[in-house]
Amino acid sequence: MENEILLSVEQLNKSFGDHEVLKQIDFSVTGGEVICIVGSSGSGKSTLLRCINRLEHQTSGKIYYHGQEVRDIQSEVNKYRAKVGMVFQSFNLFNNMSVLKNCMAATQKVLHLPQEEAFSRAIKHLKSVGMAPYINAMPDQLSGGQKQRVAIARSLCMNPELLLFDEPTSALDPEMVGEVLNVMKALAETGLTMLIVTHEMGFARDVSTRTIFMDKGYIAEDDVPERLFTNPQNPRTREFLSRFISG
Amino acid sequence: MSMAVFMTQDPTNSFQWMVFLAQKYSRLFLQGMWITLYVAVIGTLGGFLLGFLIGIVEDMKISADDSPVKKVLIRVLKIICKVYVELFRGTPMIVQAMIIFYGISQTGVQISPDIAGILVTLLNTGAYMTETVRAGINSIDAGQKEGALSLGMSPLNAMFMVILPQAFKNIIPEMANTFLTNLKMTSVLNVIGVSELFMMAKTAGGTYYKYFESYLVIALIYLVLCFIFNRIFKLIEKKMSVRKNYALAIEYMTND
Repeated sequence: MENEILLSVEQLNKSFGDHEVLKQIDFSVTGGEVICIVGSSGSGKSTLLRCINRLEHQTSGKIYYHGQEVRDIQSEVNKYRAKVGMVFQSFNLFNNMSVLKNCMAATQKVLHLPQEEAFSRAIKHLKSVGMAPYINAMPDQLSGGQKQRVAIARSLCMNPELLLFDEPTSALDPEMVGEVLNVMKALAETGLTMLIVTHEMGFARDVSTRTIFMDKGYIAEDDVPERLFTNPQNPRTREFLSRFISG
Repeated sequence: MSMAVFMTQDPTNSFQWMVFLAQKYSRLFLQGMWITLYVAVIGTLGGFLLGFLIGIVEDMKISADDSPVKKVLIRVLKIICKVYVELFRGTPMIVQAMIIFYGISQTGVQISPDIAGILVTLLNTGAYMTETVRAGINSIDAGQKEGALSLGMSPLNAMFMVILPQAFKNIIPEMANTFLTNLKMTSVLNVIGVSELFMMAKTAGGTYYKYFESYLVIALIYLVLCFIFNRIFKLIEKKMSVRKNYALAIEYMTND
């Protein structure tokens, strides 16, 4: 899986009515990469991630997964999503299920794992995010950071090849941001391929293997963080990062 | 009790007439109550089921790459549902009862008034429940569905495992409301000869020409029935509400 192109996006455009959100997006994700997508709000980062997960549909352009075009045929999309997970800003834990059930629902229903295996897998991943003591809790009994860690564990239970993170820490207070970022950092070290939309510049700089800066729907810059954060080529990147540094 | 029995031998005022009628025609009233309950319960439950089915159909989305057969099928289903809901919400139940009962009879199919009555109640409830279910589904945060889909669940799985269980809780009060309405609306079914409470009151009152008292008797029965069911629904609602306790169950397993 290492060094193999997992996902590629070609000439992706997306408009909401007259408003063009994504313009000619071209990039690919190789196995093992941890890519952070940064940029100001409204630059199209989240929409790009949602297009990749098929929660939004592009106006034009194509997405390829293992060289195969991702089409909007429900059965194919379901299989694709089982491999390409997503973690949301608003956690989206199932409110009618306990932490454990949250982590077992999809592995049983989608992967058809027997109950014991689904259970042991859920426990394994809940432990890795430090949420094993809470398996019987309902989502509304948890703090934001705890919810997000459960959501990450839930995605991991599917054994994804690629995990998308849509601003996973934006709804959290500073203390909780740390606990979630630590989990993500540990995940990055395991070699999981990750595509992360974030406003955490420090995290992007330290953890990502590649950083993409988006501006007004375009990919303005796509480089290793060492260069992007110290010597950005695009004037917009420089402007954005200077604000981050001074702010 | 013995006082009441004594009075009812020769009733002079309305209250005494009520007791007299209730005693003399107790079998009629009980039978009417039974039919009323029977038609209302079965009709409502069937209607709920129909409403859920249509609510789910209305929530279905067609995506661009679906096969043409699937697209046409979903469209046709949606149109049928729309027409049905419009028809049944746009006409009075008493008219629907007449049309369905006499319509079916005219085709030569034998249908008992009770079955026709259940059918009318069911179809009427279904049309209203559709909107309730749709509103219930819409009341659930879109993120719940997205969370399920992002794990590879089919939209139908997401609906049954995640959305409906939550929506259901939100629409219980409206379902209770619908049932209570139905319990009372079955009275219009006397026009097609369903021997429910209203019909029985008419019969019981007719012998002595004491309609006022006879209808007072069934008013009381309706009132008591509604009161009891209302309590039951409140209890269910309470049982279904989420446990709100913040003491977590940590004893199960330590995190090491």
